Amino acid sequence: MSEVYQKLEKIVEGKHISKDLYVRHAYSRNVDLVLQGVPDIVIRPKDAQEVSEIMKIANEENIPVTPRGGGDCEFGGSKPIGNGGIVLDTKRMNKVINLDQDNLIVTVEAGISWGKLNDFLCNFGLYTGCMGPGSGMTAAVGGGISHHSVGGGGCAKYGACTNQLVSLEVVLPTGDIINTGSQANKYSKYPFNRFGNGPDLAGLFCGDNGIFGVKTQVSLQVFPKPPYAAYKTFQLPRKEREVSAKIMTEIRQKGIEVYDLMFLMDLIVRLGCQEGMFPFWENLKKKRGVIFYTIEANSEVELDEKVKQLDEIMVNNKTEELGQEIQDGNIAKWHYAEQGHWQFYHNLWGIYPSMQPLTAECFSPIGLYPNVLNDIDQWDMEHNEDMQKIFNITKIRPIAGSGPVLLIDGNNVEITCGFTSFWNYYNGEVHDIIEETNLMLWKSLLERVTKHGCQWYMMGDYMSRLMVDIGAYSEEYYNLMKSIKQVLDPKMILSRGKFNFWGEK
Amino acid sequence: MSELKHLKSQWEAVMSCMGCGDCGYAIRPAVDRYLTCPVKEAKGGEGFEIYFSRGRMNVLKSLLLGQIPLSKELADFVYQCSECGNCTEVCHMSQNEYIVLNTSKWIDHVKVWEALRQDLIEAGFAPLDKHGKLIDYMNDVSMRNPYGEEEANKFAWISEFPEIKEEGDLILFGGCTMPLRQVDTLKSMMKIFKAAGREIAMSKNEWCCGSIALRIGDQNSLIDIIKHNVEIFKEMGAQTIFTACAGCYRTWKKDYPELLGEELPFKVKHITEILTEMLNNNEIPFKPVEGSETVTWHDPCHLGRHMNLYEIPRDAILKIPGLKFKEMKRNRNNSWCCGAGGGVKSEFPDLALDISTERIKEAIDTGAQILTTSCPFCIGNFSDAYKEMEPKDQEKINIIDIIDLIAGKI
Repeated sequence: MSEVYQKLEKIVEGKHISKDLYVRHAYSRNVDLVLQGVPDIVIRPKDAQEVSEIMKIANEENIPVTPRGGGDCEFGGSKPIGNGGIVLDTKRMNKVINLDQDNLIVTVEAGISWGKLNDFLCNFGLYTGCMGPGSGMTAAVGGGISHHSVGGGGCAKYGACTNQLVSLEVVLPTGDIINTGSQANKYSKYPFNRFGNGPDLAGLFCGDNGIFGVKTQVSLQVFPKPPYAAYKTFQLPRKEREVSAKIMTEIRQKGIEVYDLMFLMDLIVRLGCQEGMFPFWENLKKKRGVIFYTIEANSEVELDEKVKQLDEIMVNNKTEELGQEIQDGNIAKWHYAEQGHWQFYHNLWGIYPSMQPLTAECFSPIGLYPNVLNDIDQWDMEHNEDMQKIFNITKIRPIAGSGPVLLIDGNNVEITCGFTSFWNYYNGEVHDIIEETNLMLWKSLLERVTKHGCQWYMMGDYMSRLMVDIGAYSEEYYNLMKSIKQVLDPKMILSRGKFNFWGEK
Repeated sequence: MSELKHLKSQWEAVMSCMGCGDCGYAIRPAVDRYLTCPVKEAKGGEGFEIYFSRGRMNVLKSLLLGQIPLSKELADFVYQCSECGNCTEVCHMSQNEYIVLNTSKWIDHVKVWEALRQDLIEAGFAPLDKHGKLIDYMNDVSMRNPYGEEEANKFAWISEFPEIKEEGDLILFGGCTMPLRQVDTLKSMMKIFKAAGREIAMSKNEWCCGSIALRIGDQNSLIDIIKHNVEIFKEMGAQTIFTACAGCYRTWKKDYPELLGEELPFKVKHITEILTEMLNNNEIPFKPVEGSETVTWHDPCHLGRHMNLYEIPRDAILKIPGLKFKEMKRNRNNSWCCGAGGGVKSEFPDLALDISTERIKEAIDTGAQILTTSCPFCIGNFSDAYKEMEPKDQEKINIIDIIDLIAGKI
């Protein structure tokens, strides 16, 4: 490895590469508590050329490479699967390259965060529409494209962030650098359109979970930020899951444009109030779920009309508005006007010490999600005995259920589902039984949800392999993916282990 | 393998870090959050994740799980942290009167870093070279200060002020940095008190407050120091002790009662609290004002994030005649550290200067002609960075302790 290290050191300056034990452990985890992989080397290239040279050496030496942007994957996607290999930290590539104000297209280096990009754009009255994933103020644009991310705001109106994609610069696993869309024509001066010049090869890299190439430059459509916005929160009646789904369907059927719409189930409201997290909901007589929306408009008239139409739907569905101000329980206003944070509702992360979400992010048709949530309750009861094993140590039972259900483009929602459990290190001792039970329960629940037909988008280490393990892909589809991988990455260098291609490790 | 006694006491904090990375990268303009970790930013391209909180927490998880050992090499990383506490602020960013994150009850990053430093010291991997010298000096009976100077030097300035009493209600704890490095500011303070007709007392038997040892993680001789300092002020009949040093203030007001396990028998105030009282009572006879200057305030970490003392210095500034006030982009709990704290200035001076330079540039961006604060470490570090700046930038701003700012207008 020291010979490889020396070769890599020649590509980046010495201070941008490390094989230090502690640096490697710093990169060994993502946003999840049970998945860990310690790389041999961490490297921070400055541009596509350096990434290309790194990939060429990795091919020569048959060393796996895992790209890492903000490191916010909830499935261990930006750390190695197993130990070893190279973690390629893209966060040094964080510049805005060009803003084409006439054509509303911004070109950035892929390691820039959605937060930094939108901070830049707001100087011009612009935003990215979909603001990336829920962790977007930190997460990298390249990671968002690699996962079809949603959740950072705006996805009911603009859809996943890949919807805004115009063109990509990608370093292929072999080290070749390509440009997609309009930039596939080498005579094109500026990116302007994703489609044409042959098939949509950008699509190959959207949601690829980092297996087909390393994104180094991204061009996105940007949008003028409308000057008017309204935020409202409503408490749902009985049968909140079905009613919330009906509301979302009616909004889509009537063609009312909402910026964001989110359903928080009763589990979150009830437990959150019980633990003192939501003082503004303490006085709610019934701790039922809530639904809240944000809308934007270019004029007051437009805003009023949209509010009127939405309120009509809410009233007809027997919801109860919680008041205009945050202290009245209007979480929508807190969420958007004060930039609320995604963490607190992630199955109530951090509600007890050491408690963290073992969740998963998937898309589902609106009409399907009530069944999925009801089945998670059923799953919870069926696995009470296993949950009890953890309870016996922690004296607190893991929580199964869903975080927010978020309306995205089309008639789809994003569901954050799973269960929230404890680290195997609890109160001074390592408990292997917790880790074993966590992994078993996590797998079991994800398999259950997969069999409802949900579509996973942030698949990382765990979910990508689970889909293969449980035979969720049709043979033909999986073979096609495998063939593409083989052509692009014959030595399986990039994100080795994901999707279990050839069962390699 | 070390027992990790101190780190284990912080396991709830370590294991509650979910690794979102906001402590390294968060930019949230709506809550004035523009990045978080001054060390990571100053490292630039070298800014591996071990230089900010998430990466460090990952290392601590591996330590607690027994995967990796403590070492001198780890200490070299760990002490490259100014313990400014900005990571704690961003970690609980959602927290406000409407949303209460339970994690705020058990995640206090500075406590975690200090616990790790204590374990490193007990395992023999720290203190680092220069830190060790500071602590040796502090414990040396002929010095009792971390600057390696004779004890008498610390009190030499008092001879110019016979009006300083040996007993009294209001007693100054002089500390070490001001009397040994910024004595003119103490003289300015006496000018203000004299003009306002206020009497103060001071002891020539005070020892270093021990802040430097606490921040480095060496608590071996602290209880003796604390007991000595508390006793002498008790004997002087103190109702209130005050200090012009933010580090001493935090140590006296927060650490002493925690370490003693009991409340102190007198009040502890920072000089800005005393000055604000005097300004509110119109006790300070200012000269007639000619023109006006714009001033900006730097929140020292040991006053602001560590002690929640944000508004009092601002109240003071607003009462000083001839000044307009302008906030920096990052202020109060989002304030950018000066880079001197946590032992960074002594062991990693270049890092401290890089951080400081960024903060001065932020002050210049406000258009203010004066950057003021009330911490001798911040002032010292800013002054060092200022000396290295281009003359065209130096012309744009002056850096001055709030005491000197007020005294200059009397």
